[in-house]
Amino acid sequence: MPKKLFTPKTIIFVVAVCLFPLLAYGSDRIVDLLYERGLLLPLPSARYILRVVVMACLYMLLALGLNIVPGFTGLLDLGYVGFYLVGGYTAGLLMARLGWSYWIVLPLAAIHGALWGLLRGAPTLRLTGDYFAIVTFGFSELLFRIVKNEEWLIGGPNGFVNDIPAPNLFGLELYKYWQQYYHILILLGLTVIVVHRLQNSRVGRAWAAIREDERAAESMGINLREYKSLAFAVSAAIGAVGGAFFAQFQVNISAGAFEFWESIFILCMVVLGGMGTIKGSVIGAGILGVLGELLRPFGGARYLIFGIILILMMRFRPAGLLSAREQD
Amino acid sequence: MAQFLEQIINGLVLGGIYALIAVGYTMVYGIIQLINFAHGEIFMFGAYFAFLCVTTFGLSFWVALPLSMGMCALMGMLIDFVAYRPLRDAPRLSALITAIGMSLVLQNLARLIWGARWRKFPADATPTLLTGNAIPLPGGAQVSFLDVFIILLAVGLMIGLNRLIHLTKIGKAMRACAQNRIAASLMGIDTNRVITVTFAIGSALGAVAGVMVGLREVTEPAMGYYKGVAAFAAAVLGGIGNITGAMLGGVVLGVAEALGAGYISSEYRLAIAYIIMILVIIFRPSGLLGKSTATRA
Repeated sequence: MPKKLFTPKTIIFVVAVCLFPLLAYGSDRIVDLLYERGLLLPLPSARYILRVVVMACLYMLLALGLNIVPGFTGLLDLGYVGFYLVGGYTAGLLMARLGWSYWIVLPLAAIHGALWGLLRGAPTLRLTGDYFAIVTFGFSELLFRIVKNEEWLIGGPNGFVNDIPAPNLFGLELYKYWQQYYHILILLGLTVIVVHRLQNSRVGRAWAAIREDERAAESMGINLREYKSLAFAVSAAIGAVGGAFFAQFQVNISAGAFEFWESIFILCMVVLGGMGTIKGSVIGAGILGVLGELLRPFGGARYLIFGIILILMMRFRPAGLLSAREQD
Repeated sequence: MAQFLEQIINGLVLGGIYALIAVGYTMVYGIIQLINFAHGEIFMFGAYFAFLCVTTFGLSFWVALPLSMGMCALMGMLIDFVAYRPLRDAPRLSALITAIGMSLVLQNLARLIWGARWRKFPADATPTLLTGNAIPLPGGAQVSFLDVFIILLAVGLMIGLNRLIHLTKIGKAMRACAQNRIAASLMGIDTNRVITVTFAIGSALGAVAGVMVGLREVTEPAMGYYKGVAAFAAAVLGGIGNITGAMLGGVVLGVAEALGAGYISSEYRLAIAYIIMILVIIFRPSGLLGKSTATRA
């Protein structure tokens, strides 16, 4: 049953989300005042909080994109970071090396990502289960090796692209954290709308049918090739948009940001929230995105916690904190 | 010519190591249709266990090797018991995600305990038999005692495993479970016990490979991931679920990797494994020796 997107509750939520930077900076002033008078311990600055929130929003976008493949069509994608990488380097190289405008680069990155999605999808259409997962993994690892080693293409060792300029909106440089916050919020909002519309359409129902039983779906007249390809392309395009945002947000990108574990991190978010739901992906990404940033000082060891989350979720709540899938 | 011969030997050594790891993947897959991602991490722990036995506890290498095998066998059984057994009847995707989670946990546990830095096996703890001078080969090539030892050990263990599978009662039970687990349990085979034994054997062989890599290269938390993926590619190449195939796949992949690293680019040695793996899955999912099934659910 299709659900309505714009209810009073969601509108209040949206307004609150929109006013968030104001709140953060406002409380920053108050905290500073109290701190100067010795009434309060130092708290993280609004800049830091906003940074964490922007990264969490970026992960929500990525989780929504990934969710389309394992959540809607039931195929485990272990190489989602590959599309994130494609978007990041497309935007990074075009902006830093050729000086193209971000507003042209962003759709180009999405198209480029979608092309790679189709390219990867074409030979894997027949595959299901483990074999699909392994091919997706190998594919993203290959892309990772290429950007890491091909200096002629990227221009720096270990895939470094430096000094990616901030997007320019009618002469206004969007580099401040609160500007980036609204920027990712708009991208995220658009993604939610697109994914929500897709899920509650003929396409979404076809995907669900493929997820539940591929053969039955095919015999009901669903063109597996078309619908699976569409899922791969949309999912990849969203990943590439995330990558393009990430490139200009980080200013410098390197291959290290696109390792295999990043794919698993995003998968972990989708699993935590519950595969196949928009709300689940957003909530899962919100929780883990913030947790991931807070635990960043621990380096790679923070992945220990994500591993434990994966195991515990599969054991006790395989359908996630929220789930669309019927218990089977 | 000398370089070529050395690369081939290098490839055979690597192939022996891959084969030892790959049988662990393939045996588990054959029986419970699960890609045990944590197997690479067991291999890594094998290297660390031997390293610790030799350095911290000052044991002889010849004691450390079987000890490490035993520890890893226990570890494999424990992982199956804790993580995989409760999901035996759950959807396949759940077990696969659990295996990935397990791999993540173990790898980062090693990173927390021992640090991310690589360690070299202490030279004074290496048996003199293995540190001996290189054996000259025709054409000016050389092969070290360690390499000869690894090849002989791998071949010996593979023959032993083959005999175990084909001549013993538990081997017969394993083959029965691989054919049809439900039918096997109806015939009175304790399938859970068979699965436990499978994990133990696979993990012990993985530990041997880990110790050998520790001796020949270095011991580090990421080694299980790198070598594990390549060994998994070897298992796929040979036909997943097929033990002889895993051995063959290991050797073919090892030689291909050594030649590729020697003549094309050492940066892409892992990429060669990925490419072979992807091509095999797309064009011949049953592998070199597997039974022909179009897709695997």
